[in-house]
Amino acid sequence: MSWSAIISNALYAAIGVNAIGYALAAMGLNIHFGYTGLLNFGQAGFCLLGAYAVAIPVGIHDWSLWAALPLVPVVAAIFALMLGVPTLRLRSDYLAIVTIAAAEILRLVVSTPRWTGQLGGTDGITKFTDDFRNTIPFEKAQFFLWKAKMSDYDLWAIICGWVIIAVVALVVWALIRSPWGRVLRSIREDEDAARSLGKNVFAYKMISLVLGGILGAIGGVVLAVGNQNSNPTTFQTQATFFAYAILVLGGVGKVVGPIIGSVIFWFIISFTDNLLSQLTDDKGWKLPEWFISANNYSFTRWLLIGLGLVLLVIFRPQGIFGNREEQAFDVK
Amino acid sequence: MRSNAVLRSDGWGRESLLNVRIRHALAVVIACFAFIGALWSPAHADDVDIKVRVQNVPTEPGTKKQPVEGVAVVALDPSGVEVAKGVTNAKGIADLTVPPGVTYTIKLDPATLPEGLALPEGDSGERQVEATGGLGGNATFNLGAGGPEPKSKLDLLPQTLLNGIRFGLVIAIMSVGLSLIYATTGLSNFAHAETVTLGAVSAMWFDNTFRIFDVTTGFQAVLQLGMAALFGMACAAGFSGLLETRVWRPMRRRRIGLTSMMIVSIGIAIFLRFAIQLRFGAQPKAYAEFSSQRNLEFGPFGITPRDLAAAIISLVCLGGVAYMLMRTRTGKAIRAVSDNPDLSSATGINTDRIILFVWVLGGALAGLGGVLFGLDEQVQWNMGSRLLLLMFAAITLGGLGRPFGALVGSLVVGLFVQLWAWWFSDFTDLKYIGALGALIVILLVRPQGILGKKERIG
Repeated sequence: MSWSAIISNALYAAIGVNAIGYALAAMGLNIHFGYTGLLNFGQAGFCLLGAYAVAIPVGIHDWSLWAALPLVPVVAAIFALMLGVPTLRLRSDYLAIVTIAAAEILRLVVSTPRWTGQLGGTDGITKFTDDFRNTIPFEKAQFFLWKAKMSDYDLWAIICGWVIIAVVALVVWALIRSPWGRVLRSIREDEDAARSLGKNVFAYKMISLVLGGILGAIGGVVLAVGNQNSNPTTFQTQATFFAYAILVLGGVGKVVGPIIGSVIFWFIISFTDNLLSQLTDDKGWKLPEWFISANNYSFTRWLLIGLGLVLLVIFRPQGIFGNREEQAFDVK
Repeated sequence: MRSNAVLRSDGWGRESLLNVRIRHALAVVIACFAFIGALWSPAHADDVDIKVRVQNVPTEPGTKKQPVEGVAVVALDPSGVEVAKGVTNAKGIADLTVPPGVTYTIKLDPATLPEGLALPEGDSGERQVEATGGLGGNATFNLGAGGPEPKSKLDLLPQTLLNGIRFGLVIAIMSVGLSLIYATTGLSNFAHAETVTLGAVSAMWFDNTFRIFDVTTGFQAVLQLGMAALFGMACAAGFSGLLETRVWRPMRRRRIGLTSMMIVSIGIAIFLRFAIQLRFGAQPKAYAEFSSQRNLEFGPFGITPRDLAAAIISLVCLGGVAYMLMRTRTGKAIRAVSDNPDLSSATGINTDRIILFVWVLGGALAGLGGVLFGLDEQVQWNMGSRLLLLMFAAITLGGLGRPFGALVGSLVVGLFVQLWAWWFSDFTDLKYIGALGALIVILLVRPQGILGKKERIG
């Protein structure tokens, strides 16, 4: 049992590329759900589009990474428009079901074995990160965060990721305190009132869907480039629910909520994973096999997420740092 | 959007007491999960899989090997005792889970081979496989040449339509509950998927644990499986009712909004799904009875007696629900509550009891749907969540909150899934896209769904 390894790995996960990618996805959801009251259950689809908008041109058609990056917001915006036009005039449940269905369609399409050559298939796409690797400003070496090892690539991805988060957080903060942001929040509070004041609610909702979708797509790019693999399993429906758990944990309707939520979320996930891995291996004290074993301990993260989501929403819907006035959990 | 004003009458002044009740409620839910955990001892960690592959190898040059589905295979240990059995899936593969370190005889049941396919001359239909620790083993059966003439696409159409209706009926029986729950409470209940899985899994546990009838004869096998199915339905209904009384009702009283409740249902769904996987294992398993049957032929249609029975059971249950809704007092009350909870409560309808009834009924039907789907395909830990999107598509297509809409929508979904697989036969792994795409298209032209009332929504 090595506590230092467990804690340092958990700290690494808390600032690592997964935490960054999910923080960005959750920031997008925050614009949808926290500020506008849109129930988007297809954030994983936006992330997937971002990742594949980079991976397919670069990994399969040999584009330069920098030429492919502008595709990311374009593709996400088109997807948001496709989803928004039929559903944004309807009740929020419709958007929820259509987005979850659309995200699942995208995942099924990119993972079909028939199109492995074009879309990567179930193994996903690799080898699209050389351009990013060439920008690493320091020498090839191993770096340490206490006891957690990381490569120069990982460190550079993390640094770039946090810069992106800082920029995005600043933009979101500025947008939300602008008059435009106030209209968004008024739509969340009372759509009819906003409409009666002459605001074009549909257009505001659409722009919000596009913006949040673009943030999700950027999150997908960070996940794909950081993990050097663009894989359909990363973008299952559960990824959306991860992002919701992160959002609720950090506080709905707060700019820094998703960031803090993601850091805490990944710390807890990594901590329990590492702890249980050590408690079920053959070295030292071991938990009884009928209870949990080395084969199945990895499921506990799901049990934790499920239970955590239930308990948070019931007992602390404003999240760890949110305040009750600002969060209007109830979307109409 | 409907208000969550059900039960407004005693929703005030009892905050702290109800808080205690919710805590109590969660304890009960956790205890319920623990019960599920206890139902299943984890799969033995050391067991390994023997992968049995059954394929058709046509003699014509340039044709590819084709997997053969629905063939029963068993693993016998050296003393001739049956250790494991299975049926090949759509990829022509059956995994037999056995203890390692023994040489098994893998035997193929020739009676379950599809029409026109046979083992080649001199093939006994047996393979000796040594199951090594960690790796398991492999056995392959290459079926002989001279398979039937491949049917043209048009000839396959009637069968495709029949399969579509069959699949649609199973989806319908699962989604009627989802739809009724939505109609009376306004909640999109994501945990419905796990209610389906729970029904199928607990029926399988009962079936494997209590061998009450001698299943060598057909009638007794029906009784045995029927009892298991009833047990599965009872578990699913009990779980559903428990969630209503211990989680949803207290949440409604605390005026927690529908979106929060939906997210709570997602949390419960995730927890339960992986709790089931933890105990049931990741491998799909078939019920001991009726795992393989020959088709009955009716002209261009073919259906196994099992599937025919399943379709009839679904139809009878759906008819029963329809009768109940239209003709009985309870049904009238359900329709009243879904129309306007406040008003129906004011006219003396006990909305609490009606809603509880809907949850229990929906749970039982979902459990039955799980058993029927498990009979048709196999029982797997994520079977419900794989179907959940189709269920949502069905009730949205038919018109949210309209129980007959669920039936119509389910048939549309079932037909779209099968027609996709028929038309794009190279992309059968994408067959759910047909239904999900249909959902998006129909919402574009008819946002209220096929049977929905035209109203301004949003």
